[in-house]
This record gives sequence, structure tokens and C-alpha cells, in this order.
Amino acid sequence: MASEVNTGFLLDKRLDSIATDILRPVGISKGFLVWMGFLLVSLSGCIYAYYIQWDKGLIVTGLRDYVSWGMYIANFIFFVATSLVGMLISSVLGLMGFKWVKPIARIAEIIAVAFAAVAGLVIVSDMGRPERLPYVFMYGRIQSPILWDVTVVTTYLVLSTLLYFIPLIPDLAISKGRMGHTPKWLQSTYEVLSVNWSHTPQQYKILLKSVRILLIVIIPTAFAIHTVTSWLLAVTLRPGWDSSIFGPYFLTGAFVAGSAAVVIMMYFVRTNYKLDKYLTLYHFDMMGKLLVLVSLVYLYFNINEFLVPAFKLKTADAIHLKELFVGEYASMFWSVQLLGLIFPIILLLFKFFRKPLPMFIISVVVLIAAWFKRYLIVVPTQQNPFLPKQYVPDAWMVYQPTVIETAITMGTILLAVIIITVLFKLFPVIPIWEMAEEQCENDHKSQE
Amino acid sequence: MIKKYLFLVLIVLISFHLSAQEWVVPAEEGVKLSPFAFNDSTRKVGADLYNTNCKSCHGDPGKNNVINLVPPPPDVASVKMQTNSDGALHFKLVQGRAPMPSFKNILSSTDIWRVISFVRSFNDKYVQVIDTKKGMAGTAASNVKIQVAWVKEQNQVQMVISGMKENKIQPVSGAEVKLFAKRYFGNLLIDEARNTDAQGKALFNFPKDLPGDSAGFVQLIAKLSDEAAYGEAKADTTLAIGVPTYRPPLNEQRAMWNVVQKTPIWLLLAYTFTVLVVWGFIFYVLLQIRAIYKAGLRKDHETTD
Amino acid sequence: MSNNNNSTDDRINSEGEDKNSRRAFFKNFGLIGAVAAAGGAAIYSGYKYEESKPNHDMVKVLTADNRLVEVPRDQIKDIKLDTSELQRKGREGLKGHRFVMVIDLSKCRNARKCISACQGAHHLRPYEYHINTLVMQESPETAPYYMPKPCQHCDNPPCVAVCPVNATFKRQDGIVLIDNERCIGCRFCIAACPYSARLFHWEEPLMSEADKGKPYNIELNVPQKKGTVTKCLFSSDRLREGKLPYCVSACPNGVYYFGDENQDAVTNGTTKETYRLSELLRVNGGYHLMPELGTKPRVFYLPPKNRLFEFKDTRDQDKEKI
Repeated sequence: MASEVNTGFLLDKRLDSIATDILRPVGISKGFLVWMGFLLVSLSGCIYAYYIQWDKGLIVTGLRDYVSWGMYIANFIFFVATSLVGMLISSVLGLMGFKWVKPIARIAEIIAVAFAAVAGLVIVSDMGRPERLPYVFMYGRIQSPILWDVTVVTTYLVLSTLLYFIPLIPDLAISKGRMGHTPKWLQSTYEVLSVNWSHTPQQYKILLKSVRILLIVIIPTAFAIHTVTSWLLAVTLRPGWDSSIFGPYFLTGAFVAGSAAVVIMMYFVRTNYKLDKYLTLYHFDMMGKLLVLVSLVYLYFNINEFLVPAFKLKTADAIHLKELFVGEYASMFWSVQLLGLIFPIILLLFKFFRKPLPMFIISVVVLIAAWFKRYLIVVPTQQNPFLPKQYVPDAWMVYQPTVIETAITMGTILLAVIIITVLFKLFPVIPIWEMAEEQCENDHKSQE
Repeated sequence: MIKKYLFLVLIVLISFHLSAQEWVVPAEEGVKLSPFAFNDSTRKVGADLYNTNCKSCHGDPGKNNVINLVPPPPDVASVKMQTNSDGALHFKLVQGRAPMPSFKNILSSTDIWRVISFVRSFNDKYVQVIDTKKGMAGTAASNVKIQVAWVKEQNQVQMVISGMKENKIQPVSGAEVKLFAKRYFGNLLIDEARNTDAQGKALFNFPKDLPGDSAGFVQLIAKLSDEAAYGEAKADTTLAIGVPTYRPPLNEQRAMWNVVQKTPIWLLLAYTFTVLVVWGFIFYVLLQIRAIYKAGLRKDHETTD
Repeated sequence: MSNNNNSTDDRINSEGEDKNSRRAFFKNFGLIGAVAAAGGAAIYSGYKYEESKPNHDMVKVLTADNRLVEVPRDQIKDIKLDTSELQRKGREGLKGHRFVMVIDLSKCRNARKCISACQGAHHLRPYEYHINTLVMQESPETAPYYMPKPCQHCDNPPCVAVCPVNATFKRQDGIVLIDNERCIGCRFCIAACPYSARLFHWEEPLMSEADKGKPYNIELNVPQKKGTVTKCLFSSDRLREGKLPYCVSACPNGVYYFGDENQDAVTNGTTKETYRLSELLRVNGGYHLMPELGTKPRVFYLPPKNRLFEFKDTRDQDKEKI
């Protein structure tokens, strides 16, 4: 991001056409209402499932004393992981001066906000006594990684929201006068949220400074959020979790999942909103390369995580690894490793697969695999504790998620989709002012 | 006639049914009798003993507030309990049967009879039969006194026993005596059982490394083994002969596992510092939004001017 | 003369009667008032004195550590045994003690009496274990044996370290307790415990109906609560009374010893005989379960050597019971 903004673009007539393009899909359309209706009806079903769990207790899940963390915790880790991409795209790549991330940055921030916001709810769905949530703040033990997690997830959510909102302010001001086709309440929302923005150089200066601070502060916060989440498992003594590389292992895995999520949303914006002028083949190509890069790093950590204990085969590790490689979880494990990691790396090396549609399909597979990867991290370890499982009902031996559990998990995913839908549909998804400024600047350069 | 017959069958059936979980008492134990008569004073001591040793499981007699165990401990006022003979009760208290503990090392035989005397007070129909052959305890000597002292040079504890015999006080010789150190859950036998010599003396080697309290005090209990011959002779003495022991509470040091007030300092500082710095930036940025708003107001004024 | 004098006096008196009697009245009133006030004050102070005076009427009282002591009647304060008082006592623990358990594996025949006594006392279902006996076998060549496994009450407890709300904690006497009035049900402690010693109330606990309204005893963890974690408590309610834990006194085979490390003594739950802890561990080669994890358990095991009975795997028969 440039340190100063040439406000000349405001007088340029190209701003008009950019704004018209980007604002065209904004507003309440019939399709939006139908889609939201569908989401809300499905969500109410999931909320009913949660009501049953609230009433009967966690007995309605497949969780028991041995596998006491299951789908919910896997889902939580997945949510935290996916939300990390906001930091990767806007901060790391943005600060390094990659121009192509500009139209994608806001999409990444929306994903970050939605997934970080719902992550907190996911963890509540796992609690046996959700009404005691305030106890975490009243009696918090700062030695507990859960307290660290609550702290960093909250901080990251606030930072991501600010990082979404502040660059949006000029767009809200630009859009104000061009929202004739939208309902009145949305227009007044724009009015309020644009906080008196009047495109003065001083305001741009403040904005750029604030964004820069946020971009820098969010990097350690994002590292912390997922490292601490990995510590929820790594601070225990259990084989499969007791690993010193869990922090970077989770972090790099998060970039894979998040990048895939961004590609999915990019494809959606490009096709549904007809914004292919802004999300070009070049952007997909670059995202494809990025996905290969982060996948390679993740592969490196996977090799470390599995090869080293497999070389030594300590008693408890051996049981755990056998379960993954050839045992009960073998089919899931190899599917996840091949479909979610190896194949995408190989395919995306070819230019053909870095086109929007193939990228979209690959990313969907990668994202689903990412979810199951978290499941494989959380569940099999608990199925093989140090001491034998004896004298318990047969149902306790193996973890089998129930319908209610799955419905509640689906509900959290629906909630994230709802937040994403609202933010996508009611506000410009591609930064108008940044695009206009960039075009002006390019013209300037070509003139020189 | 038929009624009588049926009644018999019924009794046989019931007893058969009961025998499935019957607690079998050997015949010679079942006929044992108390050597002394039950009276108000035995009942009173028995009640105290009952409250400390039995009540937590058997509850208040007659109130049926027993604890939930398998098999359930019966209420001591119940018919099931009271149909036991005195000897059977004595045997069961001595032996125990899971989950009921054995009281042989906790209560003396006399104390057990006192508990039984208390238990019998909840049975109106009970008539005591006393063991007349044995009579009251204390045949060999009565009014027995035990003195315990520390013989520092030899690292030994000395016990001197005297008692009333043939109407005069004289040393009790040839009697088996035991020395115990009182511990939280039971009495620890010191050295081994000894017999008193002609002067009524017995010496016990005292271990050098036995922990006492913070000042080294150890509570000692001296006992005569043969209760039937000497009555209930027992002496409690506290001597500063143990190793003075003070060990700090286990939750004293700062640790990751301790309560929040005992957080390791480095963690407290690191956490507070990091949170303050990051949220400092967040509040700064929030103030910047306000600054943007104010800058906009000024601009509005300029344009209207 | 004297009469005259008298009459004069009388007259004078009668003359000044009005004034005099009023003065007398005030005087008397003042006197009576003063006397009354003084008397009242005296009575009151006497009453206060009586009240404050130590009452030497002695009463026999059984203390928490099971000693019978005499206390003046007026110094007895009624402590209502409500949840908060039980919590305070329970969190504080017993001063000057460090409780330890020794489990002699050479004597365990899997009678499972410890389990049922424990489950009865803590209102648990037959498959909910604060203590469980496991069939162990180190390798195919070594002999199988039964191993009772309670909570190890570690001195470096991984479960306590991860608790976010101080619901589970370690006391000064070494016991790790769980407060189900505080527990939020995150189950981090279950994940952290390498001994699988903790369990969770997935549904309404066994006797939740019957226990409704009872004050919560943190040292017994009764009433149990849905959505919270529960675990072995070393029967700390019994220890307070100077008694051995439920499992220890229920064992018919002499497997358990329980005692105080500070006194270097453990008492066998079956025979009630007391031994030196150091001696018992030295002679029998006592060890900890998985010492390499650094948890520093307060439970010791004696190896399953010289067993006087045949090992029988009764898991299939026992299974029908649960």
C-alpha cells in the first residue's frame, strides 16, 4: 500500500465506471432473499439440534470419556485455520508490495471476520455448561491455554473487523450517492458507517497510517491465534499431540485451507457478480501459485510430523501411527493427504489447472480435506490412550459422530456462510477507491 | 397343623434365600459372650465409639439414613442386625467384610463389646447373657499402670508396668506389651512385642528416623496384649523423640498448575504486557476513526463557508 | 414548751409545705431517678458481665481430625454446612498432611469391591469409574496382572495446569479436587490426563433426582452434575474424619495402603495394620505409573511378584455387570 494517496482519481471519470461495476450486485435482490431464506431455515434446524443438546446434555453426541473432544474441536480448529488467510493475504503479501492482492484483500478479510467470529460459538457448542461461559472471564486462570486462546481469538476478530472496515470507509462515501437501487435503510447505514468521509488528504493520511498499524499488529496476533490453538493439543502428553512442531504445522496448514477458501469466494464473485474485469485470470494464476507454495511448506511439516516418530516407533506413537497409516483411519488419512495436499501441488504446477474453474474445484476438495485433516488430528489420538480401555460399554471404544452433532457443526458453517453472504451482498467486495487509484497511477506511469 | 407346616416351609425358604448373601459366622464365635454386663456407662462409651467409627456408613440407629454402598450397610436397629447373636456381632466387627472394614486393629475387644452394648439398646426384647465363667477382666492384676519414658543414651523407650496384686502395688512381670506410635490412620508398631522383666520393665528400640511433628513430638501408645488378664491397660504419652518434620504445603510454589494467584511471574508479565501493547494499538486505531470523523466535520464547515 | 415548739415547727412546715413538697418531690424524684438509673446500669452491666463472662459449662466436641475435645459451651459457634462453607474447607485442604496411596499389585484379584464402594459413595453408574481395575500386560512374554487405577493425584498435575477457570485444583495436602459448581465442561483436563482418570457427566447423573437440593460437598463431589467433570477425590471427606478412603477400606484382599507421607506411615485398608511408607517401598520395590511423564504421582505401586493365586481374566463375566 502506497504511503500517500493521489486523490486525483476522484475526478477521473473511470471511478464512475468502476463504482458502477462493483456496486451493481450490491443490494437486496430476489436471489439474495431466496438464498438467505434457505440458509436461515436450515440454520433454524441446526439451532433445534443445539436445543436438544442443551436439554439432554452432550450424551446426544458420539463423544464419551475416551474420545471426549471430537467433531466440535476439529471444527473449531478448522474455523481458526481458515480465518488466518486474512492475515496472509493483506498483511504478509500486502506489506511485501504485491499489487495483485488488492482486489482480493477484502474477500480474505471477510473470510477472516466470518470464521473468527463463528469460531467462538463453535467452542461454546462443545461446552458441557455453556451458561457458565462468563466464568472464563470471572475466574480465568492465565496459565490455561484456553484463556490465551480466548484472548487471541477476540483480539484477532477485532483486528480483522477493523482491517475490513477502515479501508471500506472511502468506498462507503463513494457509494453513498450511487445507491439509488437499494433500500433506504441500507443507504442510511452507509451514511453512518462512512463517518463523515470527505476524501481530504488528511483523512487519507490517517487511514493509511491506521491500516499500516493494523497490518503489522495482525501478523503476530494471527501467528498467536493458531499457535495457541495448536497448543490446546500440544501441551498434553498424548502421543500424536505431544509434538514441538505443532505451532508451525498448524499455521502452514491454515494457509492452505484459507487460500482454498479465498479461491472459492473469488470464483463465486467472478462468475455471479460478473466482476471478471477485476478478478482476472492473472489473479487466479497467482492464487494458484500461492496455493502451491503454502501446500509445499505444509507438506514439509507433514513429513516432519509423521516421519520422525515413524522412524523411532515409540510404543504409544507406534499404535497411533499404525491406526493412521493402515488401521481404522487409513482410508481417511490417505484421502486427505493425497486429495488435499499431494494432488493439488502436482496439478497446480500446470498452467491449465490455474484457470478459474479447475482452481475452484481443486480448492473445494482442498477445503473439505482440510476439515477432515483437523478431524484426524483431534480424534485418533484420544482413541489410543496410554492405559487400556476396559470395562466400559462397547459404544465408548470408538467415536462415531451422531446426527445431532453433525447438524450443530453444519449450523456453525451455515452461520459463517450467512455472515459472508451479508457482507458480500450489502457492501462492495472489491475496494473501489484502491482500484481507481491503481488505474490512475498506471496511466500516470505509462504517460511518463 | 397345616398352618404350622406352612410356616416352617416359609422359614426354610426365607433362610435359604438369605443364605445367598449370608455372612457365615463360625459356631464357636457365634456363642461368645460379653465378659461384662451392659449398663449405662458401657452404652455411653459405646455410643461415642459408634459415632466415630460406624455412623458414617450405618447412619443414626433407627433412622435408616445409611450410606449407599453395595451391599448396603443395615441400620443397626433393624431386625436383620438384631437377630445376630452377641458373639456373631463381635466376630463381624473384628473380621469385617468388604465394604465393611475390620476393626481388629482399631478397637479393642472391650471397646467392641461396648459398641455392641450400645447397639443392643435399640432392641427392647434383648436380654443379656453374661459370660460368667470369665467374669470381669483383670484377674492377673488390677488397676494396672503403665509408665513410658525415653532412655536417651540407648535410643530406647522404656515401659514400666505396675499393678495391684494381692492387695499391694507391685511390678507386673512376664506380661506381653506393645508400643505404638500414633499415625493419622492407625498405630504404627514400634520394634516388636516384648515381655516385661521382673521389675515390670520392657525396652523398645526406637527408630532414629521416625518423623514427629514440627517440634519432633510423637504420640506413643503403650498397651498390654492380654486384655482378659489385665483389663484394658493403655497409656498415652507424648515424647519429643521423633525427627522434627515440617514440610511446606504442596501448593505453595508458583507453578503452571497452581491457582491464578500463584501464576509464574514471567507468565504474568508476558501476558499482561502483550495484551496491553496489542490492545493499545487497537484503541489507538479506534481513536483514529474518530479523528477521521472530526476531519470530515471540519471539511463540511469549510465547504459551507 | 416542746409542744409549742413542735407546733411552731409544724406551722412553719405547713406554711412552706407547698414549696417544700415540690422541692422534696423533685429531690426525691432526682434521687429515685438516680438510684433507678444506677440500679439499671448495674443490672445491665451485670447482665452484660454475665453475658461476657466465660461460661465454664464444658461440652464434648469431636473435631474434624477426629479428636474428642472439651470446649466451653459459649465458645461453640454454629457453622451451617452449606455449599460455600464446604467449598472453603474443601479448597483449603488438611494442614500438615501429604496423602499417599500404595497399591500392592501382588494382592489384587480383581474383586472389584473398591469400585462398587466408590461408586456407591459418589453416586456413579456401574461403568463410571473414579477407580477401575485394568488387566495389564507389559509384553506378550510377561505375565498379565490386575492393576487398580485411581487418580494419581500428581504433584505436577497436567489436568490442573490446563483448567481455564480454576475448577480443578491441587490442595496443600496433595489432593486434586474438582469443583462442579465451577466447571464449565470444556474437558481440557480429560484431554490432558495421561492416566484417563477423569470422566464426564454426559447425561443426568445417576442420582440427580434424589440428590436435588442437597448442599454440594466438594470433597465428595455429590450431588454430581450433568455437563461437568468428576474424578477420584481420595475420599477427602473421609480423610477429614481420619478415616481411610472408601475403596481402601472396602478391599477384601489387602491391596491398598493409605497414609501420610509426612508421617512416613501407611495403613492397610483390610488389615488396618500400619507400616513405614519408606520401608514398604524399599522392601517391595515400589514404583510410579509412567514416571517418565514427569507428573510425580502420589500413588505408588508394588510390583505383582510372588502372587499366591492364579491370574484369571474375568473381563467377559464382569462385562455383563456393567
